[in-house]
Amino acid sequence: MEPVVTIRGLSKTYSRGETTVTALHEVDLEIRKGEFCAFVGPSGCGKSTLLSLVAGLDQPTAGEIVIDGRSTKMLSSQAWTTMRRETIGIVFQAFHLVHGLTAEENIALPLMLRGEQGRDISARVDELLHRVGMSHRRHHRPGELSGGEQQRVAIARALVHQPRLLLADEPTGNVDSHQGAEIMALIQGLAQSGGQTVLLVTHSAQAALAADYTWSMCDGRLVSRTTPTTQTGLSS
Amino acid sequence: MLSFINVVALILVSHLRQWPLRTLLTIGGVALGVSASVAVRTANVDVLRSFEQAVLSVAGPTTLEVAGDESGLDEQLMIHLRTVPGVSSVSPVILQTAVQMRGDQPGQAIQVLGLDLLAEFETRGFRVSQPTTERQMIDMIHPRSVFVGEKLATDWNLSVGDEVHLLIGTGSCHCRVAGILHGESDRSASWERLAVMDIAAAQVTFGMVGLVDRIDLVTTPGLSVDEVADKVRTVLPPHVTVERPANRTKQVEQMIRAFRLNLTVLSWVGLLVGMFLIYNTMAFAVAQRRREIGIYRAVGMTQGRVALLFLVEAGLFGIVGGVVGSVAGMVLAQQLIALLSRTISDLYVPVSASGGESLWTGPWLTVGFEGILIGCGVSMIGAIGPSVDASRTATVRALAPGDYEASQQLQVGRLSIMGCALLGLAGLLSWPGSIQGVPVLGYMATLCLLAGLACLAPLCVTRGSGHHRSIGPTTGLPGVMRTIAVEHASRNPGRNGVTVSAFMVGLAIMIGVLVMVRSFRHTVEVWVADTVLADVVVAPSLWLRGTEIGTVGRSLPQAWTNILSSIPEVAAVDTYRDVRITVKGQRVAVVSRDLRLHAQWSQYLVRSGDSSEQLNRAAEIGGLLVSEVLANRLGVQEGSLLEIMTPGGVRQFPIVAVFYDYSTDGGKLLMDRSLYQSLWRDELVTVFPVYLRGGASLDHARARITEQLGVVTKGGLPPLIISNTELRKEILEIFDRTFLLTYVLEAIAVVIAMLGIVNTLITSVLERRREFATLRAIGGSPAQIQQLVLWEAIYLGAIGIVLGLLGGGLLSLVLIKVINKQSFGWTIQMIVPVASLLQAVALAVLATVVAGYLPARWAARQPVVDGLRDE
Repeated sequence: MEPVVTIRGLSKTYSRGETTVTALHEVDLEIRKGEFCAFVGPSGCGKSTLLSLVAGLDQPTAGEIVIDGRSTKMLSSQAWTTMRRETIGIVFQAFHLVHGLTAEENIALPLMLRGEQGRDISARVDELLHRVGMSHRRHHRPGELSGGEQQRVAIARALVHQPRLLLADEPTGNVDSHQGAEIMALIQGLAQSGGQTVLLVTHSAQAALAADYTWSMCDGRLVSRTTPTTQTGLSS
Repeated sequence: MLSFINVVALILVSHLRQWPLRTLLTIGGVALGVSASVAVRTANVDVLRSFEQAVLSVAGPTTLEVAGDESGLDEQLMIHLRTVPGVSSVSPVILQTAVQMRGDQPGQAIQVLGLDLLAEFETRGFRVSQPTTERQMIDMIHPRSVFVGEKLATDWNLSVGDEVHLLIGTGSCHCRVAGILHGESDRSASWERLAVMDIAAAQVTFGMVGLVDRIDLVTTPGLSVDEVADKVRTVLPPHVTVERPANRTKQVEQMIRAFRLNLTVLSWVGLLVGMFLIYNTMAFAVAQRRREIGIYRAVGMTQGRVALLFLVEAGLFGIVGGVVGSVAGMVLAQQLIALLSRTISDLYVPVSASGGESLWTGPWLTVGFEGILIGCGVSMIGAIGPSVDASRTATVRALAPGDYEASQQLQVGRLSIMGCALLGLAGLLSWPGSIQGVPVLGYMATLCLLAGLACLAPLCVTRGSGHHRSIGPTTGLPGVMRTIAVEHASRNPGRNGVTVSAFMVGLAIMIGVLVMVRSFRHTVEVWVADTVLADVVVAPSLWLRGTEIGTVGRSLPQAWTNILSSIPEVAAVDTYRDVRITVKGQRVAVVSRDLRLHAQWSQYLVRSGDSSEQLNRAAEIGGLLVSEVLANRLGVQEGSLLEIMTPGGVRQFPIVAVFYDYSTDGGKLLMDRSLYQSLWRDELVTVFPVYLRGGASLDHARARITEQLGVVTKGGLPPLIISNTELRKEILEIFDRTFLLTYVLEAIAVVIAMLGIVNTLITSVLERRREFATLRAIGGSPAQIQQLVLWEAIYLGAIGIVLGLLGGGLLSLVLIKVINKQSFGWTIQMIVPVASLLQAVALAVLATVVAGYLPARWAARQPVVDGLRDE
């Protein structure tokens, strides 16, 4: 399988006053097509920073990210926007739905942002609403939905443009354990059926079980890689 | 208390550091509002002070002034005045205008004062730099000697011994500069812009032998001036007035009161809009710091102190805005003084601009203090609402996640009811008349109207979103962007309602004044087209400059009637005389002309009946036609009798008709020339309206008139020979100049309203950083974020424009039917200037987009990761 994401020597430092904080330290990584990779670790270990850099939401201090065989080192802001429109879908811990829009409008948003309109959008939105089980809530606004429902809409929004790469940052962080399990099952199922590569950042060992393998992070470095089997074994 | 001040200082500094741009915008808005108010007030005061200074410094020790009508006073009256007990000195005065000839061209007009120099050389308040006393004496009484003020000498590059060519009336005079005048103190600085001649020389030079313009009296110290004045009146003809010099300033002040008041009120619009800006800023500050307020309350700050905290913050904005606004206002005032002097000279009485230099050496400290007081006051008034709201913060709710905007939404309905009630009140306040000539209730109606619409603004902001809910996934991107923008705007009816209100107020006033001015202009155009029908008007050369003082510069000899009538192209020549008299305490223009001739060739726009018929009837029975303004002011109508003091005593005249007139708001009386001459013994003519024969060439006729009059005015100042088209154009130019200042003040109000939009949008962007970051994260481009903010600006702007149009339409009604009518008495035909309104709307749209552009650009450039982390 060809790699979808290749990371070489990726570092990120932040300056806060006179002190410098290293969020990521020379990370090297390769994630292949269709893989479901989770990153776990304590707060501040750099896992969310890693995701932000892969999404092009932030710029690395050093190193390189290659997505779909294309180096992102020299990408302009506009090129990154295009990359997110075409290749990347993101799910956030806080859902980040647009308050004024209904569920179906929120889902349609990425397609509209890239200039699509008409019946194609409608059909695609209908399909995703159905797949995340939210057809009956399509006209509701975020404020009228529960946390779990909001996250379902957010997942549908992240997948509506059929990205090759799905980035999920603590998708179960704001929901209860039962809903969390449902959310992870949904991500897993949708990603598998769509052939998406998934990068999941989570605190939850339970959520990480959905992944093909898990990277543990500490102080901005990748520490160890485990598979669900070893994880289960460890935990037992 | 000291510790509280420390807390306030600490909190303020941290907030200023946090929101520097918003602070700057707010202070800028207050400063602009203060600058307009300070500029108009300063210019108003300066123009009047210049006039007063000129009057008082020339008056010197004079305690009473004896004046007649414009044809002057018989100098023999001085003999009688000297016999009045309590009068210790009697001095003749001539005050006329002359024009300096520069090469072949007429140059600047100056005032020439004729005084009894031998008697008054050292008493009037000026000094003369002269080499010897003997020479001084000879020069003083020499008929060609003139003493020139220091500033005038500098401007004209004159020194003692130089010859100066002065054009006087229709003649000219070569004078020798006998000395340079210096004011003895700052108060007598007006001498430095005057020219002075001996009275005998002035009488000869100005063709006033045996006449004087005024007689100045000095009363015996210790005696009551008013009692002496009463005694003086007993020896004078009834139409001659006896007044203190300061009364002239009061008269002028009274004359221009309505004009100044309206200008001043208009200058407050900027402050009103600025108040909305402050409200907005403080409301945002309260919303932003709700949690912080909860913490203050939890650690022991009282409700009063919380309110005070925000009031002090607003007060500080006001102080800084006041300081900046005062300085800007003084700079603006320097430009306004010339414009205002010109307008007052055009419309009321010749006043000279000081040039504004005195502002920086004189009252700048007072002006600055006033500016600070205004800025601080306006800011603190604007901050009352948010401060009270802050003080009422429920601590528990503030510390828990909560949204106070929701509680404000509940009040939208109540606010709307209040808005409707205020609109109703505005209607009621429009019915009664003025209070002592001041449209107090009219102004209150305006305030209620604007406040009523402002109360409806939050409702419009929330309701506006309802019209955009039909958008579904099949809608294109612009539709979604619009929806997000509108939805967000409508979620904050309180804050956005205030922004919309500020914009609405600026726009409503702009549109209201625009409709009023256009309607007024249209009315004047119709009036000019219907009443100014003479093909050519022959007038004194300074007639249109509005700077002439005294009869000579404003009169032409009656003998010219024959000269003009003899020209083959001329069919008829009217003799128009315009002098000022006092009727029942009002300064009124008395116009006399050949009414029968006027009935044949032209007309007056009479309120009822036929113009020709009534002009002929007035000529026949010795009646008057009275302008609408005067009729309203004196409470007379067609058929009434009007008492007028003439040189021959009090006479009653029947009023034959009331006519519309827009040349002066002081009122006008029209009578037949023969009647006027029999009463006033005045042979002079102000202008000659000339009617040409059918088919006669205007150019030929004009050339002939120039040629014929050139013979009689050889070497003197040629008269103004102006065609009908040129005269109409000139009248409309004066009209446009009058309202130029209005446009400047409106522009300031609109700029402040724009700052309000910028302010709100920046607030909105700050609040929505996470939403914008999300959109960027799911594929939105910076340009799309920019569009989103622009849509919000357009949404708020659109509501502001709709309300502004509505408010402007209603305001124009109040301005035309109530305020203008009560202030000036003119009937204005209301029109809807569609093209101008479209321009105003286009300007408003442009203002909205410009105001939205910077925040939009800024929003698009915000870091995505920071936005996603933002709580």
